[in-house]
Amino acid sequence: MTNTPLPHENRTARVSGWLSVLALLAAATLCAMALDQHVTLMSQAMIYVLAVVIASYKLGRLESVVCAVGSVSALNFFFVPPRWTLVVENRELFVALAAMLGVSLVISHLAAGIRRESQAARQSEQRARQLQALSTKLVSATSAAEVQEEGQKALDAAYAGSCTLVLADEAQTLPDNSGVPDAVLDGLRCCAREAAVLGPGTGRWPGLNAWYLPLGDSGHIVGAACVRPAQAADTDGREHAQALCTLLAQALVRLRLAASVQAAQGEAQRHQLQSTFLAAVSHDLRTPLAAIVGAASSLQTQRERLSLAEQDRLLGSIVNEAAYLSEVTENTLQFVRLSSSAQALRRDWESVEEIVGTVLARVRQRDPARRIKSSVAPGLPLLKADPVLLAQMLGNLLDNALKYSDGPINLTVYADKAALLIAVKDRGPGVAEADQEAIFEPYARGEQSSHRGAGLGLAVCRAVAQAHGGQLTLRRRAGGGSCFRASFPIEAQPLTRELP
Amino acid sequence: MTLRVLVVEDDREIRSLMQSSLSVEGFEVQTAASLSEARALLRHAPPDVIILDLGLPDGDGELLVRELRQHRTVPVIVVSARHQEAQKIALLDAGADDYLTKPFSVAELLARIRVALRHRGTALAAAVTVHALDDLHIDLAAHRVQRAGEPVHLTPTEFKLLARLVRSAGRVVTHRQLLADVWGAEFTGHTHYLRLYMGQLRAKIERDPAEPRHLLTETGVGYRLADA
Repeated sequence: MTNTPLPHENRTARVSGWLSVLALLAAATLCAMALDQHVTLMSQAMIYVLAVVIASYKLGRLESVVCAVGSVSALNFFFVPPRWTLVVENRELFVALAAMLGVSLVISHLAAGIRRESQAARQSEQRARQLQALSTKLVSATSAAEVQEEGQKALDAAYAGSCTLVLADEAQTLPDNSGVPDAVLDGLRCCAREAAVLGPGTGRWPGLNAWYLPLGDSGHIVGAACVRPAQAADTDGREHAQALCTLLAQALVRLRLAASVQAAQGEAQRHQLQSTFLAAVSHDLRTPLAAIVGAASSLQTQRERLSLAEQDRLLGSIVNEAAYLSEVTENTLQFVRLSSSAQALRRDWESVEEIVGTVLARVRQRDPARRIKSSVAPGLPLLKADPVLLAQMLGNLLDNALKYSDGPINLTVYADKAALLIAVKDRGPGVAEADQEAIFEPYARGEQSSHRGAGLGLAVCRAVAQAHGGQLTLRRRAGGGSCFRASFPIEAQPLTRELP
Repeated sequence: MTLRVLVVEDDREIRSLMQSSLSVEGFEVQTAASLSEARALLRHAPPDVIILDLGLPDGDGELLVRELRQHRTVPVIVVSARHQEAQKIALLDAGADDYLTKPFSVAELLARIRVALRHRGTALAAAVTVHALDDLHIDLAAHRVQRAGEPVHLTPTEFKLLARLVRSAGRVVTHRQLLADVWGAEFTGHTHYLRLYMGQLRAKIERDPAEPRHLLTETGVGYRLADA
């Protein structure tokens, strides 16, 4: 569907047009000569008229006029007496020739009009069909890139020149890196800024050799297109380009709306989660705070009446509750940090033996009976890990074991071929089969709700293991109790230089 | 002579808590709520110890530590929250002597100050060469290490590493400082050397390497040789 042929196509069409004129004139002359003995001059004239009608219908206006003039001349030259001259002897014949020229011109004019109309009708039908096909395709488009691809295809199919379609980003600016020539990009930006079509016939920048069309309305620009060739008189062509751009803009706006609706839904869901989370955290914070305020205010107002032992007990409770509060805070912060995708671990080569050492030094304060028995295999490989997180994980596991069981607790660290394993085993009541996954969820607690505050502990532990590419699993021990096992993949060890 | 402590802390409650608990211990306490205030106080009366909080309203404490270290050896103890790890290490590398993580107890604070005061002036005075705690006895000059009376054989690198910790006994020594002093400045990124050699040292010196008594790990920061 080409509304104006390219220059080289134009030339070939012209040449073949003139050749057709010659061929028609030659055929009519030969035919008239063959019938010369049998028919009158009037019939021969009709043969030439036929040639003119064919030329008028099939060829351009200039060709058909030339064909008409040629036919009259040929008839005059070959058949009108005196033959083989252009002299006309008889006035009646002269009138006949003039009438024939007139008839030929009128026919050619009428035929050209019909041809133009039918061509226009065909083109507008094709364009309507293209618009419909594009809108069908765009309905199923799921991404802006898809819309762009379809749009580019449609423009290329509808226009013979090179066409460009560029999508705007969220800020309604056209990106630099689209590989579009600067001059074209300037035009696209200008039409997007003005939210109006630029180019021939638009009254804006009529000197351009292309139309620049914005996608979308002022304030909601989603892209811009450049269409070639552009002629001031080709109103239909420009309107078709505008119609294509409107379709593309609608599709893009629809996609953006869908995306923002989805984002809003996600946001609402996040808010919901956040408020559940906050409710749970604030419960965990309020309980120890209440204990601290209670003990401190009792000391403040009733100190003289309290025995020394009573005062000591209250002071101890303040210190313990505050320590617990700081632990809950630390776990909560760590959990939030680990949950946000932007979390960057501070990983370095770490010795698990050292981490076990520091954690035990801290946990022993709550383990005066030394229930924890540790066994760390010698010569363990190093882990590329965040030591603060690993220490927090191990600390939480040991604290839980101390809190939820009364018997001995075994901490074992060992390695197999692929992984380094840290196991914490207790002889407590264990976790029901059904709860074994749930207890790793934030604020899902096992049955013992009389104990408070492991809330986020295990969720943090699992998040730490997973952040290191490892796993944390729980299984029931034969003979009662739980076994938490964290495994971390062993990476290729760093090279060390042995000094003398 | 009364020892003078300068507390630089922007939180009023913590400032007054430190002031009262240090005064009770017999220190003369000065307080500053900002770096500029601290600078002004430092010009008038040089303290014996500085307690420096991270995250002051008017700038990074690292600058103050660098300024101090140009001409003074006064011990600096950094107080930080758990999430200020990187800042804390930067201050230690810049010349701060030790650190405390919030929340800390008064007992911890006093212990840190005692260690810091003990090391006061060691940059000028003869370095510590003998260290003894429980059954461990180290004599750097004689190149001798004994555990429960038995000699412990160390490789030259192990000895260099241990010696570096002995010279700062009781204080934290950062990974960077240890690597630079034992292996050389170009090895400051090779933390894995430390992990391996410290592991070997623990195996030779500690009764239970998984629960060390002497060679303490400061997670993510460095090591400390216990001295009490």
